[in-house]
Amino acid sequence: MAISVDPPEVSRDLCRKAGYTFTVLSDPNAVVIRRYHLLHAGGGPDGHDIARPAEFLVDSSGMVRWVNFTEDVRVRARADEMLAAAKSLR
Amino acid sequence: MPDASKNRENWAVWVGSLLALVAVLCNVVFFVSLPGLWAIAWLSMLLSVVALIFLGLGLKHAFGRPVVYRRKILSSVLSLVSLLLVGAAIFASFSARAMPTSAGAPQIGQSVPDFTLADTNDQPVSLAQLLAQAANDSKVMPAKSVLLIFYRGYW
Repeated sequence: MAISVDPPEVSRDLCRKAGYTFTVLSDPNAVVIRRYHLLHAGGGPDGHDIARPAEFLVDSSGMVRWVNFTEDVRVRARADEMLAAAKSLR
Repeated sequence: MPDASKNRENWAVWVGSLLALVAVLCNVVFFVSLPGLWAIAWLSMLLSVVALIFLGLGLKHAFGRPVVYRRKILSSVLSLVSLLLVGAAIFASFSARAMPTSAGAPQIGQSVPDFTLADTNDQPVSLAQLLAQAANDSKVMPAKSVLLIFYRGYW
């Protein structure tokens, strides 16, 4: 599942265009993003507060089992990396 | 003025321009999700620096010797364009890395805080709900887990 500051309409548009079927949640005021210490203040267009890219693999007990914080917005976790991390859990 | 010397002056500026162009084009590669992209990020910076060195050498040769006027114009124009390209490449590299370190973010072995947010249909969805779903259905994700992806947004 994915989280951004985008309102639900924008995420709906993205899912429709990209064909995403996973859950995409909206955090327009960056409340959860702040709680997770992932706020990139003024990082968005027009100086909006947005989330920095970050990926967490959380097991069913709510514990982080794998994490990725990129240092370069141009370099993100790839789908195969994330799937490999998920498969390595049991 | 021997021809060899003229060619050499242009050579450095042309190499500098080419490197500057490649440094900028490196950024196009990021639209493809491939392993080793972090290396491309550094390559772009390295190429920019090397391009600057070549441009400097080329200009030094062009203006340091009594060469034909046309060559100086060409060298200057090429250098100016290349300088803009190098500037763009360096700016892209710095702005791409201008991000908070997020030292307080959840780390491996820590529990993540629960939350409830609206999905694309404006329905509230909680992490606990998704975790419960994952625990009951291993087809959603292997190993009964949930992948949390925080992203900058769609624009």
